[in-house]
Amino acid sequence: MAIKYTIQGLLIYVAMAEYLLAFVVMLSRRHKAGRDLFFTGFLLGCVVLAYRWLHVGHIPMQNLFEVFLCLGVLVYPISIFCRRVLRVGGVTADMLIGAIVLFPAGFFFSAEPQHLPPALQSWLFGPHVLVYMLSYILMAKAAVQAAIQLTGKNLEGNLLSPEDATYRMVCAGFPLLTLGLVLGSVWGQNAWGDWWGWDPKELWSLASWLVYVGYLHFRYMFGKRLARLNSTWAILGLVVIIITLLWVNLSKLFPGLHSYAM
Amino acid sequence: MTSTAISYDAKNRIVLANVIIFVIMRYVCRRFQGYIRIMPEAGLKNSLRRAALWAGLILVLLLIVFSIYGAFIGAESATRFFNSLPLSVYWIAFAILLISAIAIFKRLLCWRGLFLIHLGCIIIFSGGTIGSQAGFSLQDKLFKTDTIRAGQMIINEGATDRAVEMENGAIKMLPFGIKLADFRIDYYEPGQLIIRTTRGEGFKIPAKEGQKYELGADYGSVEIVRRFEYFKLAREGNKLVAIEDTGGGPNPAIELLLKKPDGSETTRYVFERFGGHVRPDDNLQFSYHRAVKDFISDVEVVKNNKVVIRKSIEVNKPLHYGGHLFYQQDYDHETERYSVLSVTSDKGLGIVFLGYILLCAGVFWHFWLRHIFGDREIED
Ligand code: HEM
Repeated sequence: MAIKYTIQGLLIYVAMAEYLLAFVVMLSRRHKAGRDLFFTGFLLGCVVLAYRWLHVGHIPMQNLFEVFLCLGVLVYPISIFCRRVLRVGGVTADMLIGAIVLFPAGFFFSAEPQHLPPALQSWLFGPHVLVYMLSYILMAKAAVQAAIQLTGKNLEGNLLSPEDATYRMVCAGFPLLTLGLVLGSVWGQNAWGDWWGWDPKELWSLASWLVYVGYLHFRYMFGKRLARLNSTWAILGLVVIIITLLWVNLSKLFPGLHSYAM
Repeated sequence: MTSTAISYDAKNRIVLANVIIFVIMRYVCRRFQGYIRIMPEAGLKNSLRRAALWAGLILVLLLIVFSIYGAFIGAESATRFFNSLPLSVYWIAFAILLISAIAIFKRLLCWRGLFLIHLGCIIIFSGGTIGSQAGFSLQDKLFKTDTIRAGQMIINEGATDRAVEMENGAIKMLPFGIKLADFRIDYYEPGQLIIRTTRGEGFKIPAKEGQKYELGADYGSVEIVRRFEYFKLAREGNKLVAIEDTGGGPNPAIELLLKKPDGSETTRYVFERFGGHVRPDDNLQFSYHRAVKDFISDVEVVKNNKVVIRKSIEVNKPLHYGGHLFYQQDYDHETERYSVLSVTSDKGLGIVFLGYILLCAGVFWHFWLRHIFGDREIED
């Protein structure tokens, strides 16, 4: 636990509360108020992020605190983009996702600024992490749509059905996931001379990528005939992503393992 | 793709290869499009397709299982596992399946994106095989070569060396020499002075010269008087004084002036590399830390007694010369006199990166761009 008694921490808590409140307000069908709250939570997140950036003097994506903070901010624009352009709903769920990703930034991870160690000083650092974060959010949205499909609900008017929406989110996220993996590998080559080292973190990211490869082929093979299984793949993908993201922390549960820190 | 790991030569080759592959691919598509269209969708062919898809799915699932298993056993054991004989059989099966998939599914051949994705995977796979341990042993046997795949060089400042120590301890010689002209470490400045009190309180203070900090009524104040890179004590008359002496090894330190609440003043030196000894009457304990920003080896490649290349090797900025990449790996932490470079062969690397470019171009085209710019290509 790392509760933050700083202004930065306070702003994160307020943003988180706004996201949560937005979620509750949406559930009680006051859509306009919910969206406004979502938006203001996003603005607060931007302020914290900008402050952090200035404070540490490099793109704030170095440690898990910064990554989760970024995720909490990116949720909003992605949510809006998906709804307006890709016709994928789930804005209410996005508010919850926003609150969930801000939670560990607010309560678990230390916000102690750190100097960038030499290995992280690379032009690939920003793109690699950013691309991964975008794809993770899209895949989280895919999993939400998959869960909706499994519960058998069908949502709002002009938006895609949950099964189609899951597929569309995976299609949007998969190229980014691929690019993230590739950039990570190129970076590994640049930093320590090995483009693939069979490291736990690499293997988990390979596994998560492969789950989506499996999903895409499975859906090509069976179309919508086995819709429930399609959705199960998509949810499994997110589970593996979460393990990938938190493996450095999770691996402590398995003594004797070594993996590098983020 | 990367500005450093591959040279301009390699980059040009990759771009050229890309263009060539693309042109050939378009030609193949156009040329055989009609043929594929009129080919009767025989039952046999369809069941073959179904079998291939199932096999592909199973191999992907297996690889997921292997990867997760590999993550649990750690990098070293995982490397052994993925290079083992049973896994080699698996890899070969995967490669054959991928190639046959392109041959039997016309979509994979004619849809630009799908073709690039699957071809990219095959190419990455072949690059990986060429660069793997097994690939190297095979090539060395076939072509009677003795390539340096991966090893380490330890070079003293001013010295020229050719010896590379392999992972198994064997020594191999480079056909050229590497001279370490200079080795430097950059730190994030200012460092930090950390003060702990006997009561367990801690202060973290930026170690800036001339700064004064109040530690509270019980402890008085501390002032940072001077910073040293090469601290040394020298005798001046019958007094010992602190001086900068670049003749010796580096010895970073700071000089503190402590003012106790009773008005008494003492001078203390705090060293980055040696923890200070605590005196019995001390109620404060000091340490001095700086984070490493970068470490840099200025090297010269020497061939036939001539310097052919000068380059500063840093973490993330390797030297690429003569089929080898030289990375800044480590250094002499005590005296900063030697640098440790890791050496790897670049064999297969260009191929892998080419595969990466194809794969990425393929996925972005297939999932994003073709919906925005694309003709509908060849619909089934
Ligand atoms: C690591 C290996 C592989 C990767 C990364 C990969 C990736 C992909 C991707 C991203 C698609 C597009 C799916 C879609 O549009 O929904 C696809 C389609 C396809 N893949 Fe693979 N694939 C791999 C291996 C294989 C193998 C082994 C086969 C062998 C049967 C295969 C057969 C196909 C077929 C037939 C399609 C057509 C799908 C369509 O037209 O939409 N793939 N693959």
